[in-house]
Amino acid sequence: MSDSVAIHLDNHLSELDKLADEVERFGEANGFSPRTIYQIRLVLDELLTNVISYGYRDQRRHEIGVAMRLAEGLLTIRLEDDATAFNPVEAGKPDLECPVEERRVGGLGIHLVKKIMDQVEYERKEGKNLLMLVKTIE
Amino acid sequence: MELVEKTSGDVIILELNGRLDSNTSKLLEDKVMEVLGQGSKKLLMDFADVDYINSTGLRVLLLALQQLKKNQGKLILCSIKDYMKEVFEISGYTEIFPIFSDQSEGLKGFA
Repeated sequence: MSDSVAIHLDNHLSELDKLADEVERFGEANGFSPRTIYQIRLVLDELLTNVISYGYRDQRRHEIGVAMRLAEGLLTIRLEDDATAFNPVEAGKPDLECPVEERRVGGLGIHLVKKIMDQVEYERKEGKNLLMLVKTIE
Repeated sequence: MELVEKTSGDVIILELNGRLDSNTSKLLEDKVMEVLGQGSKKLLMDFADVDYINSTGLRVLLLALQQLKKNQGKLILCSIKDYMKEVFEISGYTEIFPIFSDQSEGLKGFA
């Protein structure tokens, strides 16, 4: 069984609601658990909130591509944007061991992405950020 | 997101409802600061009706915990939906927050 969906978003945070609805629809149609649907929504929210909030230096409209494909129990998500180069794979890891009082509050979003997905690969190609995310769906 | 404030003895209970994300977390942050400003040191956050949280929401919880600890206070969380628990774990939050199954258990955590 395989299924796929491709979504195009503008670089506005309000577009993330549309994406969340699409993920829910795709997940439910393919029998994902509520936990998996939530986690995929979260991963895309974290990554795209970063891109939209910090990735653009002009006020122009930009398009962000999100493609999801499920084949043989493997979910592959491909993100494509023309924002400033940013490689989440190399982003610093938050220190989750340090005492509460000294714990820094940043960096958690990318940490969640890496923990939830089985594989995260980044490529900068022709002025675009390409991110490939893979997760086994049980 | 909606927020209902209740009290039980000297414990302030915040019942959260809806999504705790980049759009709504500021609401909770402001509420927490208001409650702390009034000198409350025992705060219970009830997640029974929270269906989504992201890193912005998680960050507000950490800030609240840090503020309370500074004032020898205590923050307890309860009723987190099963499907969201793993995200609290991978955030390291199950180590730093007392988390209880429901409100009455959570209140016992202050004893």
